Amino acid sequence: MEREISIIKLEPGVSQVIKAFLADKGIQQPIRIELNFSGCCDASICLRMDTILETDLTVELEGLTFVINREAYQLVGEVTISYVDEMGKKGFVLTSSEPVGEWAGFGISDIKI
Amino acid sequence: MEQYKLFINGEFVDAASGKTFETIDPGTEVPIATVAQAGKADAEAAIAAARKAFNKGDWSGLTPSARIAKIQDFADQLAQQGLRLAATESMESGRIISYAKYAPLLTIGLLRNLCLLAATKFPWEEEIPVSGNVFAPGREFIRREPVGVCVGIIPWNLPLEIAFWKIAPALIMGNTIVLKPASYTPLTALIAAEAAKAAGIPNGVINVIPGPGGELGNILCTHPDVDKIAFTGSTEVGREIMRMASETVKKVTLELGGKSANIILDDADMDLAVEGAVFGTFLHQGQLCESGTRVLVSSKIYDEFLDKMKKRTESLRIGYQMDPTSHMGPLISKQQLATVERYVKLGKEEGAELITGGKRAEVKGIKGGFYYAPTIFANVNNKMRIAQEEIFGPVVCVIKYDSDEEAVAIANDSIYGLGGGVFSSNTARAERVARGVRTGTMWINNYHVFADFCPFGGYKQSGVGREFGLAGLHEYTQIKRIHVAALADHKTNISFQLMSDYKKIDGFSYNCPTNVVAGHGALSSIYKAVADLGCRRALILTDPGVRKAGLAQLVKDALVDFCVGLYDNIPSDPDLETVDAATATARELKADCIVSVGGGSVIDTAKGVCVTLKNGGRANDHLNMLVLTEPQTPHIAIPTTAGTGSEVTSIAVLTSKGAGRKLFIVDARIMPNVAILDPRFTMSLPKELTASTAMDALTHAIEAMTSTMANKICDGQALQAIRLINENLPIVVADGKNEKARLNLQLAATMAGWAFTIAQVGLAHGMAHTIGTLHHVPHGAACGIVLPKVMRYNVDHAADKLAQVAQALGVNTASMKERNAALAAADAVEALMKKVGHPMRLRDVGVPEENLAICAFHAIADTAVLFNGRPVSDPNEVLQIYSQAY
Repeated sequence: MEREISIIKLEPGVSQVIKAFLADKGIQQPIRIELNFSGCCDASICLRMDTILETDLTVELEGLTFVINREAYQLVGEVTISYVDEMGKKGFVLTSSEPVGEWAGFGISDIKI
Repeated sequence: MEQYKLFINGEFVDAASGKTFETIDPGTEVPIATVAQAGKADAEAAIAAARKAFNKGDWSGLTPSARIAKIQDFADQLAQQGLRLAATESMESGRIISYAKYAPLLTIGLLRNLCLLAATKFPWEEEIPVSGNVFAPGREFIRREPVGVCVGIIPWNLPLEIAFWKIAPALIMGNTIVLKPASYTPLTALIAAEAAKAAGIPNGVINVIPGPGGELGNILCTHPDVDKIAFTGSTEVGREIMRMASETVKKVTLELGGKSANIILDDADMDLAVEGAVFGTFLHQGQLCESGTRVLVSSKIYDEFLDKMKKRTESLRIGYQMDPTSHMGPLISKQQLATVERYVKLGKEEGAELITGGKRAEVKGIKGGFYYAPTIFANVNNKMRIAQEEIFGPVVCVIKYDSDEEAVAIANDSIYGLGGGVFSSNTARAERVARGVRTGTMWINNYHVFADFCPFGGYKQSGVGREFGLAGLHEYTQIKRIHVAALADHKTNISFQLMSDYKKIDGFSYNCPTNVVAGHGALSSIYKAVADLGCRRALILTDPGVRKAGLAQLVKDALVDFCVGLYDNIPSDPDLETVDAATATARELKADCIVSVGGGSVIDTAKGVCVTLKNGGRANDHLNMLVLTEPQTPHIAIPTTAGTGSEVTSIAVLTSKGAGRKLFIVDARIMPNVAILDPRFTMSLPKELTASTAMDALTHAIEAMTSTMANKICDGQALQAIRLINENLPIVVADGKNEKARLNLQLAATMAGWAFTIAQVGLAHGMAHTIGTLHHVPHGAACGIVLPKVMRYNVDHAADKLAQVAQALGVNTASMKERNAALAAADAVEALMKKVGHPMRLRDVGVPEENLAICAFHAIADTAVLFNGRPVSDPNEVLQIYSQAY
């Protein structure tokens, strides 16, 4: 297992939302950042509760543990997580230094369990 | 390298920012062309052009047939670009050329088919023959009109065809469109724009703006000048588009993700099923949203099927997409390749068994490209993520099941419902399975079959709305209802009167088509009447009493060989089951005409039978008002009482056990075709029944005159009915065999029937209905008892009419004031009742005094009360009348 930095950037307030979510669910697991398909055509990045694998990159940030698989990191680069709650739009917005598609950051993600 | 520009307002222009981007051949990773990259300003310009073009009306205002010519020109221009379109489609999307070469042909076919469909079969205007609002007669019709400015957002997998899934219906239905192609594959849409320009499609009708979805989507989906969004793409983006569209309440059509089940039953033709599964999964490298990426296989054939599918999959040739021998080409991008790899890894981690594939593929002679081997996972549990999440690549999950029911359950265990298949040699069984799957399309012994006239779209999170066919065209129109009042007079408009003190309805429509044949021996006319109606198989409906009296036999004899049967199981106060039983007999005997011989119960039953026989189903299906649009089963009525007038009225009163009360069929089309008033049929009516049925008729006549719907035609009929009853009832009561007086009572009842079927009745009927239902008081007797009391109650709202009633009842009103004359009418009714021995009080007919209050509450809700000359809204007032009558 290897530790690296600059994998993830959290916008202000995001860690509190995640911690509140984990507390509400009674879960203490790392949060995986991964490529995800939500239907026809365009992949996106999402958050999921998961375990750490040997080949993962991990980072501790504001008291939270994030993991990402090495190949995914090479593809998307640094991932920025923000949180929106306005005009009916509520959830995490994930963007990356190498956008995964033209709709990157358009939709929202929750934390999958 | 070729350069492409944005297409806005009929011109090819650079992006306002001057930005461009490159498109890449996914089979070689070599750039194909540079393309202007639209930004916010360009999107706004495109929307403005589309709005201006729509508002100008030189496209939206054309008739559908006028638009055909332009659409056909457009199709011709696309045909001229066919080779270029096919090659570009293949090169930029990775679609093998042997598949892409059909794209222009299919696109042109779609345009031509849908524009002809729209011009010839689409219901642009639709008459609504029955409005369902009985209070506001008028012509009702709907127009379907274009929605306005549409936005089409399309994916990269089938860029040419899916562009036209949006462009074709939008334009054909008179809309304008702003199309945003996928950034991986913008070229064919821009070539299509060239074709549109060459075809003379007006400026601004089509606009094409390639650019980043995230940036453009925010403008396209929120701009107030956009009326509709049609999107094909991911569920995550679709969900956000739907949310954005909701801010300005835009219409949306979404075609989103899928994880479709391709179900292989144990009786499937094995070779066909294997081909179907391979084709259903690996066509276009699995980058089709409806792909059957969950192959559900019966445990009885699982091993054999899997073995054959593996061999067939491994025989597929992966190659450069422009090579006509390739079966599969590259994936669209390195991101797509990485996502597929991630899911394959996940499948292994989840414990699925990798049977074949699971790795990148190399193509001889090509460096680069995003190729991936077709991959099969076996022993997949449907709960695994690889079975739940769309991978959009050449990866299939094979899942074992033990029964058809289990297969359906597994198929439905998904957030998606877009496509699906069943392979079986038993079509009936396959169709049963297909019906059980909650999905937008099911193919039986086939897969990936799209068709211009067949709707496509998703259940559950696979989408909203449909594309193709009439259903798809409807998505690009909105409905405008137009009501044109039949009587343009504020004093005839019942709704307007809710806010007015004037409560009478001045205008009216008089439609009473019943042919009345009256007189001694009138029965003989029935033979010709049946023939005139075009019938040969008449069924007589009657009741046991009438049959026993020999009257039904008279009718049977008069019908000669036109009579196919005689049904006499009709009680008084018939219910819906009575109608159903009689209808069953009529169906069994193949009756084409109903002859009712009896009182109101028999005639009303016959009306119900005529409607049910004509329209099918049960009597309960037809308890409606003014909904019949064509003539019903012919009906000849021969009344054996002189009271209800049912032989000419538009109402049938039937008891509903479910509702616990009497309900109605009301429609001019249930008026009997012929009424035969032969006095011989009432000669044996007992004195009491003669009196009470005559009081029913008298109440019809008086209430028709004092109702809010009263009119001069009905007044005339009512007054003559009143005179005839007043003159002839005492004679008949004294001498039941006086045929002339009997006939006059029959005529009076018929005229009163005509009067009230147009002018309605009032409070006396509402009160009589109630005590009839709750205390089984004969209807005529109940009417008579409460009528004079109600007349006094109404006196200040109908004094003029009641004064005329007094005259018709023989009162000399010459020296009376109008109000006194009106009150004298009530006295005259009571005098007539006494003269003929009619019961005078409710206590005489068994109504308990303590129940009067509850009767008042029921009565005030009776439909008849709505038309009472004096508005009735206080149950205490009704109770007071009941008490007076007690």
